[in-house]
Amino acid sequence: MRKIEFLITDMHCVNCAMRLQDLEDILPGVKKVDASYHKGKMVVTFDETTVTIEDLIRETRKLGYTAIEENAI
Amino acid sequence: MTNLVVAFITGITTGGLSCMAVQGGLLASSLASQIEQDLAYAGKDSKGTIKPRIALPITLFLSSKLIVYTLLGALLGGLGQVLQITPTAQAILQFMIAIFMIGNALRMLNVHPIFRYFSFEPPSKVTRFIRRRSKSEGSWFSPLFLGALTVLIPCGVTQTMMAAAIATGDPLSGAALLFAFTLGTSPVFFALSYFATRLGALMEKYFIRIVAASLIILGILAFDTGLNLLGSPFSLTRVASGIRSGQAQEISDLQTTTSDASLTLNVVDKGYRPRKLHAPAGVPVTLTLITEDVYSCSRAFLIPAIDYAIILFATGEEKVEIPPQEPGTVLPFTCSMGMYTGEIIFDL
Repeated sequence: MRKIEFLITDMHCVNCAMRLQDLEDILPGVKKVDASYHKGKMVVTFDETTVTIEDLIRETRKLGYTAIEENAI
Repeated sequence: MTNLVVAFITGITTGGLSCMAVQGGLLASSLASQIEQDLAYAGKDSKGTIKPRIALPITLFLSSKLIVYTLLGALLGGLGQVLQITPTAQAILQFMIAIFMIGNALRMLNVHPIFRYFSFEPPSKVTRFIRRRSKSEGSWFSPLFLGALTVLIPCGVTQTMMAAAIATGDPLSGAALLFAFTLGTSPVFFALSYFATRLGALMEKYFIRIVAASLIILGILAFDTGLNLLGSPFSLTRVASGIRSGQAQEISDLQTTTSDASLTLNVVDKGYRPRKLHAPAGVPVTLTLITEDVYSCSRAFLIPAIDYAIILFATGEEKVEIPPQEPGTVLPFTCSMGMYTGEIIFDL
């Protein structure tokens, strides 16, 4: 299990954070998404054997947001 | 009554759009499962047409939302009653509402990330729970439940209305206020839901500026209400009425100016007649307030400077004892919303 923090600059309301949690359903390897509109950040816990950081960034883009990898936790 | 109309109009304009931006996703996803379900059974339809029945779930969703917010209004109004809100406290509340509205507008316009804290963010456990429910099977229960859950993610405009419900200081008025507001948002929700799926993000970006601009205007009005409640002579309402009054005002002055220490003020639906009263200085003055079939907020009458507040009967007479005032004193009076104003001048 890995935990990575992403910077999401283009959230514009609280609902966006909820939309980002959809990643939990889209990518089966994603265990948990904690997104915060206040902080403009998203922390993803995922299984690195099935999901890559690129997958996460690509799927986030499909949802309409830009994810910038910040740091591993 | 007037503030209910204002609440309804706020709902049907800015409230509907801003709430749709926040809660629309919830409604859309609850509808999505219904649509999928209907499409799956479409083969069995004798007419052969595929028409997802989304009117019913939307109605269920909105009814549930309306009920929950009305209850919330009653609760907040009751809270306001317990807190015994004085005109000054009400003014402070109005200032907070103003700051909140303008802060939210700046947040929407993305002026600085700091303004994001003007929005209420539920913990991710709550949002995850809401999201899970919204994805579960479509039934009458799901839209009802999700409609009720919207109470956990109120949009900026709703939050301001909630503050206004506290300011009413009465469960019934609070309930009525949020009922009127939520009812106003309903047609917007209903209409927009028909174009649901892609709407969320698009709507948000397109209307965000209009909503923000309206919020700034409403924020300034709330600030002005606060000034009126404090009896400030510098509020926009007072300055504007000073410009408007002029000659017509003088005529009514002549009719009511008396040298004895009693004054009469007619409280009508559209405010107070006359708006300027002249009274003798240095003696106690009795002000008689007369109402006759009045159903506007002018019934909530305040004289902030002497800390006098009363809710008048729709029809009746009320006497206010005003202690002796220094010559030249101006005592402003106002309704509790700060919409209708007037003053007593002690210059006789």
